[in-house]
Amino acid sequence: MVHGESGGGTLLEISNLHAGIEDKQILRGIDLSIEPGEIHAIMGRNGSGKTTAANIIMGHPDFEVESGRVMLSGEDLLELETWERAREGVFLSFQYPQAVPGLQVGNFLRKSVASIRGEESAKGADFRNELNEAMDALGIPRSFLSRYVNDGFSGGEKKRFEILQMLLLKPRLAILDETDSGLDIDGIKTVAAGVNAAIRGGESAALIITHYSRILEHVKPDKVHVLIDGRIVASGGPELATELENNGYDWIEERGEAEGVA
Amino acid sequence: MDPATQYLSLDEPDRSSHLWRYTPWRRVHPTGDVSGIPEMGSPVIGLIGFDGGPAPNGISIEQGVMSNAIMPGSDALTGSFLRAVAAGSSWTLRVEPGFSSEHPVILDVDVGDSASVLHLCLDVGRLSELELVTRVRGSGEWFGMLRTGGVGDGGSLNDVVVGLLDRGTLLRVDSINVGRDAQVRAGTVSSGSDRTKADLRYRMAETGGNLRVLGSILSAGSMHLDHHVEIHHDAPETFSRLSWHSACDGDSRTVGTGMLRIADGSTGADASQLFHNLLLSEDAEADSIPELEVLEHEVIGCGHGTANGPIDEDQVFYLESRGFDPSEARGALVAAFLNSTLSEMGSESLHDWLVRLLTSELRESGP
Repeated sequence: MVHGESGGGTLLEISNLHAGIEDKQILRGIDLSIEPGEIHAIMGRNGSGKTTAANIIMGHPDFEVESGRVMLSGEDLLELETWERAREGVFLSFQYPQAVPGLQVGNFLRKSVASIRGEESAKGADFRNELNEAMDALGIPRSFLSRYVNDGFSGGEKKRFEILQMLLLKPRLAILDETDSGLDIDGIKTVAAGVNAAIRGGESAALIITHYSRILEHVKPDKVHVLIDGRIVASGGPELATELENNGYDWIEERGEAEGVA
Repeated sequence: MDPATQYLSLDEPDRSSHLWRYTPWRRVHPTGDVSGIPEMGSPVIGLIGFDGGPAPNGISIEQGVMSNAIMPGSDALTGSFLRAVAAGSSWTLRVEPGFSSEHPVILDVDVGDSASVLHLCLDVGRLSELELVTRVRGSGEWFGMLRTGGVGDGGSLNDVVVGLLDRGTLLRVDSINVGRDAQVRAGTVSSGSDRTKADLRYRMAETGGNLRVLGSILSAGSMHLDHHVEIHHDAPETFSRLSWHSACDGDSRTVGTGMLRIADGSTGADASQLFHNLLLSEDAEADSIPELEVLEHEVIGCGHGTANGPIDEDQVFYLESRGFDPSEARGALVAAFLNSTLSEMGSESLHDWLVRLLTSELRESGP
């Protein structure tokens, strides 16, 4: 795995990030640091800013950064366009992937791999073998290649297709936004196996955004962060996810209020 | 009455007519003097196999037409005008009953660099199966093409007309009968010609006809492309779908008007038409007007719709997040939009051929 220049040291460094959309501030001072080989999780309720954080890192044009920095191996991501970030090794698995009727999956994958990993990587038997292997691992049939991108896909098919792209694009930083939603338990295990295979022991890293701890039972995160009202109010090990699953978010919100954080 | 006399007996149509609302007859007449019937040249035509070799046995092109008639419900003005000017340029494409070919057949129409006209009569025999690509190319200032005839009972025709004229005006009139239980896919791929006026009419006068009319239209610069599609359900258990995609760039204009007519007695008819326009610039314009005339109560369905819009920025973001630069993302989305109808026009090999053609056209027009 790993496409793009590795600068060594911290892979993703987010400092004091304030951002929002249409004059509405959503992120209110995020600090986050991810080392190569680590898997982090961000948990939080709806509207807490999780998807905004993912979109900001990927460079969605609708979101505005007011202040703060987002660095990838020492490079300022905020200075780059979305496609440049992708080519630097940032990958976002979308919560709701876009359908593109008329664009065949096979052609789309070839073009994406060529854009990000170079033309040679998208040619010949090596690419075909790599593609077949990844599809087999995710239980995706070959007929998928002639379908149109996300057009008529079930929720589970969309999520598997996002992970297929992740496996083929070999990003340095994979952000998985609610990838577990819409998947049954077998789907979650399959996706988790894909994430573990891609990240563990390598130079890349993953940031998993989720409501639930289900996927985190299969992808043990190194750190779990709790996002409430655009701020990280708690960070801990994988046990924090279990605690949130058992007790909900109220206790942590109350604790944050008591500490004057949230 | 001979066609010339018939044409000269008709008044110039005004804009109150559905057909002539957006592109007056005067603008597409070869000289603009609508009282005249000018002399026209003939295009060079050739029938070839998909691999460039000879066409297979059982399909031929012969000079002359067996009948000069156009189907009931066709426009008398353009029908008589084109028959009059094409008197010396009439051909019949004959497909033997039971004919079948694994690969598409190409009818190459080279209009050269001067004004010309062609009357092509399709005589597709019963129970035959054919994929036909009519490729129109050249740089003449005016080209007129009248296609008449039809598909025999139980026949299957994938009929794709590809307009690749470098410039000038294209006047195209189709007047095609769909036989009993016949299946027809009628595709139009248009890119090129400064001005196009097309009047495409299909009639299902026998039970069980099945028709799909598909358009992939790319307009750029200051092109004006006007397509009128009329589908007549004149028999029970007939089926039709019209799906028309136009991508418009520059300050070009596309017009798509549709008319679905379901005659009294056409029980079990199932019909719908959908126009979809992708606007690629602020100055581009697209008009779509689907219309229905349903005179039978017991139909399965009869619907119409139209959608206009720019490129979806969420789709652009998705592609850019996968490494497509802005120009690549835009090009891929335009191609995908046109491919949605292109992919329905025929077999996989025909589709691949059309995609290669369209990709090359997209590169040249640069949306």
